[in-house]
Amino acid sequence: MLVHYPGPWTPLLGRLALRQIPYQNPILVWTFVLVVLAGALVVGAITYTRSWTYLWREWLTSVDHKKIGVMYCLLGLVMFFRGFIDGVMMRTQQVMAVGPHSPGYLGALHGYLPPYHFGQIYSAHGTIMILFAITPILVGLMNIIVPLQIGARDMAYPYLNALSFWLTAAATGLVMISLFVGDFSHAGWVGLIPLTELAYSPGVGVDYWIWAVQIGSVGTTLASINIIATIIKMRAPGMSWTKMPIFCWTALSTSVVGLSSFPVFTAAVALLSLDRYAGTHFFTAGLGGNLMLYTDLFWIWGHPEVYYVVLPAFGILSEIIPTFSEKPLFGYMTMAAASIAIGGVSWSVWLHHFFTMGAGPGVNAFFSIASMLVGIPTGVKVFNWAFTLYRGRVRFDLPMLWALAALVLLLTGGLTGMMLAMPAINYTVHNSVFVVAHFHNMLNVVGFACLGAINFWFPKVFGFKLDERIGKRAFWYFSAGTAVLFGCMYALGFMGMPRRLDYIPFPSWRPLLIGEEIGIVLFLISSYYLVKQLYVSIRNRAQYRVSGSDAWGTARSLEWLAHCPVPFYNFAVQPHINVRDEWAWRRQNGLGQTAPEHYEDIHLPNNTPIPLFIGVLTFALGFGLVWRMYWLALASLIAIIAAIIARAFDDDPGQTIPGERIRRIEAGLAGVLEGRVATGDVVVGGAVAFETRATKAAPRARDA
Amino acid sequence: MSKMNDMDPAGAVLWAPHDAEPDMIATRTLGFWLYLLSDAMIVASLFASYLVLNHRMNAAAGPTAGAVMHPLTALWETILLLSAILAYGLSLVALKRKDRRGVLAGFGVACMLGLGFLVMEGHEFADLALRGAVPERSGYLSALYTLVLYHAVHIVFALLWTAVMAVQVARQGFTPNVVYRLLNLKLFWFFQGFIWIYVFCFVDLTGALHVH
Amino acid sequence: MSDCDPYNNDGTLAGGYMAERRWERARGLVPVLAAMLSGCAQKGFWLFHPKGAVARTEWHTTILDVAVMGGVILVAGGLVVAFLWRYRAGNRARTYDPHFTSSLVIEVLVWGIPLVVVGYLSYFSVKSVFATNPYNPLAVRQAVDRAGGGLREAYGERADPTVVDAMGAPPPATRPLQVEVVTTDWQWVFIYPHQRVATVNELVMPVHTPVEFDLTSATVVNDFFIPELVGEIDIMPGMRTKQALIASRTGTYHGYSDDYSGGGFSWMGFRARVESPQRFRSWIKKMQAQPVHLSYSRFRQLARPTINLSERISRFSQVQAGLFDHVVERVMEGRVYPTPLAMTENMTKPMKVRLIK
Repeated sequence: MLVHYPGPWTPLLGRLALRQIPYQNPILVWTFVLVVLAGALVVGAITYTRSWTYLWREWLTSVDHKKIGVMYCLLGLVMFFRGFIDGVMMRTQQVMAVGPHSPGYLGALHGYLPPYHFGQIYSAHGTIMILFAITPILVGLMNIIVPLQIGARDMAYPYLNALSFWLTAAATGLVMISLFVGDFSHAGWVGLIPLTELAYSPGVGVDYWIWAVQIGSVGTTLASINIIATIIKMRAPGMSWTKMPIFCWTALSTSVVGLSSFPVFTAAVALLSLDRYAGTHFFTAGLGGNLMLYTDLFWIWGHPEVYYVVLPAFGILSEIIPTFSEKPLFGYMTMAAASIAIGGVSWSVWLHHFFTMGAGPGVNAFFSIASMLVGIPTGVKVFNWAFTLYRGRVRFDLPMLWALAALVLLLTGGLTGMMLAMPAINYTVHNSVFVVAHFHNMLNVVGFACLGAINFWFPKVFGFKLDERIGKRAFWYFSAGTAVLFGCMYALGFMGMPRRLDYIPFPSWRPLLIGEEIGIVLFLISSYYLVKQLYVSIRNRAQYRVSGSDAWGTARSLEWLAHCPVPFYNFAVQPHINVRDEWAWRRQNGLGQTAPEHYEDIHLPNNTPIPLFIGVLTFALGFGLVWRMYWLALASLIAIIAAIIARAFDDDPGQTIPGERIRRIEAGLAGVLEGRVATGDVVVGGAVAFETRATKAAPRARDA
Repeated sequence: MSKMNDMDPAGAVLWAPHDAEPDMIATRTLGFWLYLLSDAMIVASLFASYLVLNHRMNAAAGPTAGAVMHPLTALWETILLLSAILAYGLSLVALKRKDRRGVLAGFGVACMLGLGFLVMEGHEFADLALRGAVPERSGYLSALYTLVLYHAVHIVFALLWTAVMAVQVARQGFTPNVVYRLLNLKLFWFFQGFIWIYVFCFVDLTGALHVH
Repeated sequence: MSDCDPYNNDGTLAGGYMAERRWERARGLVPVLAAMLSGCAQKGFWLFHPKGAVARTEWHTTILDVAVMGGVILVAGGLVVAFLWRYRAGNRARTYDPHFTSSLVIEVLVWGIPLVVVGYLSYFSVKSVFATNPYNPLAVRQAVDRAGGGLREAYGERADPTVVDAMGAPPPATRPLQVEVVTTDWQWVFIYPHQRVATVNELVMPVHTPVEFDLTSATVVNDFFIPELVGEIDIMPGMRTKQALIASRTGTYHGYSDDYSGGGFSWMGFRARVESPQRFRSWIKKMQAQPVHLSYSRFRQLARPTINLSERISRFSQVQAGLFDHVVERVMEGRVYPTPLAMTENMTKPMKVRLIK
């Protein structure tokens, strides 16, 4: 049943052997040293501040949607940094390896990366950026914001929420460990078939890719289930569908897309893994396999996945632009409709990723028109944002700058997207860096929106704003980097440059490659300012603290009714929704400070370490499968099932927080906002904003 | 123009008197429906793969559907599986009467019949493999085995889950947590029957009709 | 100067949201920009200078699409910029009307304008799809028509692949030249079945003559691309795809694979030479005198993983009849040309395959 593969195997370690550790490669050795140093620094800092218990009780075992959301965002940002470094390495290799006379270093013929190493870097870059950077950041943002916007205490399934996160973290762990143990796939984030088959990728790289994306996609599917159920079931009284904030509409649409498309990906990758592990012939060229079947299944997920990341970004723009225009969103109903329409159309366009397959003109024409249809709801969104500005009072705060730049990028991305949707044009730029420039253009829309959202909602979660001056500097360098890098890349596309080249055969491409490198330098400067912004803001958080629940003064939707920072129970008393922009309405009618008359008891679930355990076991399962240590894989699988059953026997009654305690916390929060010293139950800005559930509530739960 | 945002603030209700906690069982069932939807997408992908690979070219000179399908065996398997599902469904009738013993008896019958289904299917495929029609033989056989075994793995989990629920019913009785799990398990069983009907129609019956 | 359009696009892209002070900072980039512009003048923009009917249609479609969409983008972007400027918080003269949140007229317009634009572009998309359809590009047929009316029939009838031309007879200008393309890891094999010659990494074609390609791969998926002559078509193992082109000017063009196929992908280029019919004829003659013959067993040696660092050309005569189909059939029966494990595991010594320097 099991397939034959080259190389030795032992029962205990599977394919793993010492020579799989790339200790001869100075790049990886230095990366390893840096990672170990950084890890030691973090561990040391936690130990020094005696925060292990705090970390365990407040974060690692938490089921609070805000904390899980923050962990998602943190994971995404760390992976974003990793993916960014991969991008820097790729560009640098390309600029160094031009022409047959360019020198080679570190064992490479040209440049400093041999082809196979370069292949791994570009594959890791794509996989990480899409699945382990942008997706976690967006899921994290939805996790934080959706329950607040609909006035819920938490997600519909807090435990499942933690499980989704830890599965994503386990998948990320697999990608990271592939740096130092074995290698990663060289077949792109799309898993180019049949390059991913055992004959052409006999190492463990593709296996790492398979199990990382597989575990990650299960996590994301579960997150989608959670968000849909939350929006359907948990809306506050009075919040009809048409009163729901627009970000929730996009979250709903995106989750429906995610729920229905990620399983297809799961199936496609599972069949590929059967080919590699069981010797089946789904996607092999010979013996009855059909390799285009993989390509179809992959893009049936892959294209909706693009909208999975773009729709929440649209939602973010639809929240930021009205806030800083001091006007409600123009055309709310059509915006909601357009969000659903984009989600719907995303299902009928996948073939435009391989117009060059040789399908008949009828097929290509159909998918061409379907792809162009996406432009209609997207165009509607752009115009509606424009008319939101119309007769408004536009301020250029930092989140607004990010949002507006995203809007401009969306326009250029729309232009090139319409080009790619035409097969006749697509034939000339398919698989070229033009396509790469286009989707980086679009993913930068998402990136800009994410950075805008982080700046926008940061005070909601942590109680203080991020530094505006440094942030603007980061913004301008980021924008300049985007324009220079991807402008050059578009131009290179017209020169016919294919993507994924580790050696540049034509010196005529060199000037633009140098231009790209300049863009990379601008990005590096920008990332310095981004880190500095975070560091300075956290260090001087007292000076950035916001007063009142509305950090921007002109915010509109319900999350701004809750305190900044949001206490662990979100709203002391669940709000009753009267209008669409509930907070703006209350603020404008002088009801913003109206506190509830009395406080009821609040019921919340308890923390649990089981999701973390399952995450660790899933990592072991993936690692065992990658190296074909079948005993480890089997043991982890049995342990996972046992953990799930054990959880079923541990009915968590949750905890009840007495109304009296809520009243005291609320009074204390008001005290913090007025600048008085916080004591007792009261939470102060920074990460301590989350100092909450278990520590304070556990003794009381025991009392009860 | 913006009626949605114009409302008389005087006398408006600002706070809900109590937490509007949604019905726990309904929420859990909704989530399970959504999970089933995602699982259905996986099954749909497997069906799509099967239909693509169910072609003479993809049999790679090996056996085609007409040669490996035994619709009569599949009919007996269908009867066994649907009876198992019926037994589980009937045990939930006992749940309405809060009849622990009735529920457990239903579980027992469902598990026996489900096990019978698995044994019969296992026998059928072991026989096939012994005759050389292993999944490595061709793209067609890969798709066939994968589709059917994916369903079989679900039945294994349904049996495991039913066994766990039997322990819970015996130990805890019909608490809300147990009841929502029983309802979700019902959905899960029915879903397996639903998939099997498709397998029976599109794999076994049409397979037997195909003469390539 | 039309070569430099992307830079202008880039400038507009930047100008939308970048303040003047960024220009001050960007002053250091001027020499680099100059270098880039000089690069522009090197005519590296192959897509802007099509030398064949199919590529020309594709380029004209690009221009049309950019013109139409550019108009829409300018309107939308202009609207955004104008509103941002007029309704900025510092502008005391503007109206502030928070109640202007929906308008039927505007809604109809914002749905209607994209709808009309998409409809218009769809029409051209469908038209150009047929003009550039790799299996039967109308653009090639029209080019043949323009060259002389009688050629149409000849092109419309597909040449019978079982018929082998008399040895040495040049293909008549009216009849398309048949070329079979097989990619290996990581080289190109061009087979001229009717002339029974083959080359590795060199494609020679007569000018003003339709050329029809059958393509397959012995290993993984590649993409056949000659930017100045024709767009891409996938090359897949165990399958056959088709492409056709007609070149309008003699010269040597660059062709290469456009779909990542493993370690030697970057070196997987070939020379596409377009010659006058006379020179093409004499080239065929020379080819048919080549001492090395190409049988399937020699092909299998050729198809071992090889990185052809210098695009070295090999030439064969007496190509085994039906070699292309044979390669396809063997792949369908499960033949693979595996990549050595050592190449994909040890990153510091990657070149564990045959290198042609």
